[in-house]
Amino acid sequence: MANTWGYGAMTNHFGDIVGHSKAIFVIGANSAVANPIGFKHMLQAKDRNNAKLIVVDPVYTRSAAKADHYLRIRSGTDIALIYGILHVIFKNGWEDKQFIEQRTYGIEDVKKEAEKWTPEVASDVTGIPAEQIVQIATLLAKTKPATVVWALGITQHSVGSSNTRILPILQLVLGNMGKKGGGCNIIRGHDNVQGSTDMCNLADSLPGYYGLADGSWKHFAKGWGVDFEWIQKRFFEPKWMNAKGFSLAKWYQGVLQEEKTYSSSPIRALWIQGTGITSMSQTLKVKEALDKLDLLVIAEPFVNEAAVITDKKDDVYILPACTQFETEGSVTATNRSAQWRSKVIEPLYESKSDEQIMFEFAKKFGFYDEFVRGMMMGVKEGKIQQVKKDFVWPDDASDEIARIIKTIGLDGWTAKRLRKHQENWHMFDPITLEGKGPMKGEYYGLPWPCWNENHGGSPILYDVDTSVKEGGMGFRNRFGLEHNGVSQMADDKVTVKGSLVQGGYPEITKDNIEKVLGITLSDAEKALIGANWKVDYSGIIEKKCMEKGVAPYGNARARAIVWEFPDPVPMHREPIHSPRTDLVAKYPTYEDQKNNFRVEVKYKSEQQKQDWVKDFPTMIVSMRVVNLSGAGMLERTSKYLSHITPEMFANIHPDLALSYGIRDGEDMWLHAPHGTKIKVKAHHNVSVTPDRICLPYNFAGVFQGVDLSANYPEGTKPYTIGESSNIITNYGFDIITQISEYNAGLCRVEKA
Amino acid sequence: MSEMARMKFYCDDKRCIECFACSVACAEAHELPVGISRRKVVTLFDGVEGKEISTSIACMHCTDAPCEQVCPVDCFYIREDGIVLHDKDKCIGCGYCLYACPFGAPQFPRDGAFGHKGSMDKCTMCAGGPLETNSKEERELYGQNRIAEGKVPMCAAVCSTNALLVGDAEMVSDIYRNRVASRGKNA
Ligand code: SF4
Ligand code: SF4
Repeated sequence: MANTWGYGAMTNHFGDIVGHSKAIFVIGANSAVANPIGFKHMLQAKDRNNAKLIVVDPVYTRSAAKADHYLRIRSGTDIALIYGILHVIFKNGWEDKQFIEQRTYGIEDVKKEAEKWTPEVASDVTGIPAEQIVQIATLLAKTKPATVVWALGITQHSVGSSNTRILPILQLVLGNMGKKGGGCNIIRGHDNVQGSTDMCNLADSLPGYYGLADGSWKHFAKGWGVDFEWIQKRFFEPKWMNAKGFSLAKWYQGVLQEEKTYSSSPIRALWIQGTGITSMSQTLKVKEALDKLDLLVIAEPFVNEAAVITDKKDDVYILPACTQFETEGSVTATNRSAQWRSKVIEPLYESKSDEQIMFEFAKKFGFYDEFVRGMMMGVKEGKIQQVKKDFVWPDDASDEIARIIKTIGLDGWTAKRLRKHQENWHMFDPITLEGKGPMKGEYYGLPWPCWNENHGGSPILYDVDTSVKEGGMGFRNRFGLEHNGVSQMADDKVTVKGSLVQGGYPEITKDNIEKVLGITLSDAEKALIGANWKVDYSGIIEKKCMEKGVAPYGNARARAIVWEFPDPVPMHREPIHSPRTDLVAKYPTYEDQKNNFRVEVKYKSEQQKQDWVKDFPTMIVSMRVVNLSGAGMLERTSKYLSHITPEMFANIHPDLALSYGIRDGEDMWLHAPHGTKIKVKAHHNVSVTPDRICLPYNFAGVFQGVDLSANYPEGTKPYTIGESSNIITNYGFDIITQISEYNAGLCRVEKA
Repeated sequence: MSEMARMKFYCDDKRCIECFACSVACAEAHELPVGISRRKVVTLFDGVEGKEISTSIACMHCTDAPCEQVCPVDCFYIREDGIVLHDKDKCIGCGYCLYACPFGAPQFPRDGAFGHKGSMDKCTMCAGGPLETNSKEERELYGQNRIAEGKVPMCAAVCSTNALLVGDAEMVSDIYRNRVASRGKNA
């Protein structure tokens, strides 16, 4: 997504779906279960707009049960389906030619690839009838605006980063971008996932998607009031500052070193704060790595199952972190809007808030002053400097974020404003997000980019029919000025409403600002201005841009070719463990990857090691249950929620189950290609076809048939425990992001 | 609410997604023992394409409540607003009401742990029972009395899709009628 048009976030919002969408194409998302309140908006759109709901999923989900059209897809073939749809669209000339011509780059290459994907070819790969592909293509072409909705069912594949490009491409071809009721609405699965993504709690970027280049570190060093060299010295060698760290998906190889790693040292200590360890794949490897660590520290409100699955006896520490109800601050909703939350009660017992734990930690390690100084900084006379001697939590933390994070336009997100939105939420329209009365001119939660303290936020990204001041903009200029001699700026005819600069323009820098905006800077301004809009603490670039109705990040073309990726246009590639050996030959996966996130990753060598489907004939599809989230460690401590799913199970078609002699409610073993197995209850269910089973990933506490109850510290065992499905999640990772291939894989069923 | 108000539940099965919010919130609010469901969420034709349907069921607070008619000790009483309640001190736990009830609303304890909540338990539409309003005793035996506090019953308040409607029968049918009327009309 970000590689297509600049930002990788939901472009529109739920209210907009209710208000304007005429068709809703949901793929790789089961919102009825994962986001019930979000799903309400789709049901309201059905009721109010007669919107057509299309659900694409390998199993007949609760969301599918509400759909007007259900497409049963084979896992891992989303790209083939979309090409099938594009084929029909192009063949009939239904593409939005003007949009493509004026606001995109590289669609020709997509068209060429789509030519191969007749509905029949796409049908053979996806398992969806050809007539249904034609029907849905026709519906999407004739029903505008249509929105595309997805979640983890799209990202969690070895081709995840191509999946997340082919769907934006579909919307570009249909001309649904930057429109009310259109857009790509990626739904985040948990509270504040957008916030933690924006803060880049990741191994490959500083907060705000700044990346790891020296320039980015320098920007942060300034904002934090510390020397760049001081930060640099904290690394083993300077070069590691710019290298991606280990990812959450494969960190265990940093300990085990069974696959080749590229790091300054093996991992010896692990600190876990806020992630369920059993929600990662390759759980057996995770366990082995935990066993081998020198030190394991867990800071969580509930006992993280890392402490339970490991046999490690010494040097395991569990620190009680308090819950969100015992803290205060801002969170970010799936639609890029902020929400301030108040503390309901003081932290219970000896538990501490996350930031308190980090403060104590920083004190012990001797860098507390540097750690908190960013909160005492401010911009005075156009310069960033320390402006006070103390800080107030959490307001000064929020203000620090607003001061530093310019890439996604958090400039306007000061604590004061966010608090005001919380206090006045009744003054906002739930469909348009527009404020009324004293809140007029602002959108609820100031969806980013929110360019400055007077800006009202941007509810719909890339909408050129709205002025920048009111939240409009073109696509972001992020990939250079030209490619293969073709300008990446939007066409001359694409002038953002109210802009004094005609047509497309590049992102604004110190060097081009005078030329692009047609202004002359004073010497004083020249002395203060930062190198570009992303690092300009003086605020001059942003201010001058607003005066001209210009978005600081440019007005460019969305690109369908990502030239730095292994597949410049998205290509269908079979999952690492595919049930279709014939198609593996035709659509093989990537060559093995030497080093991504400091570790090598197997692709072709694993995919073609053997004819997997012979021994593992059944597809695995993962699912969520509505009462549990993530690893379920929080919800399984609630007796009422536990009661809904008292045990781990898999949905299995009666025909498949009975062919193994497994009756409804009996135990069965599921074996994975990498030699692991889990024992779960068989639930006869026809939401799955006989070629696949479907199982929730929200359990832990039983490991390959062994009950780990004894490993829970006294009094902490949840009401329900069960096998973690990730024990059998197959080997496989996305080529770019390294996210695990949770949603395509194989297994063998056996009567227990 | 007018004098003629009659409180009713309605669950729109085109909306209900079996999220269990209503039944879990009910259990939490009234501190019910696990296994006693004043409100149940059911899915019929689970997984069957084009047929699957989910809905949430509790006591429907019938106008001519069959439970009231068959109760041998006359423990049921119907409030002016139509809410059907019963007196747990009178109830002998015979189970006649369960036979009479078309919705399986009356719940019976499975073990002694439930004893203190009386013999039969069912949805009160969050209106408590015959004991002193909002007293500790009422709360323990019948759960919260949200109606007395002017609040919406818990289940409908938390329904994630607005499937579950509650209130004066006329208002409920107005909301539903509008929803149905606009369905497919592009309104
Ligand atoms: S318990 Fe059953 S019969 Fe009695 S009012 Fe409720 S739904 Fe009607
Ligand atoms: S809360 Fe609403 S949608 Fe969820 S199960 Fe209950 S009635 Fe259905």
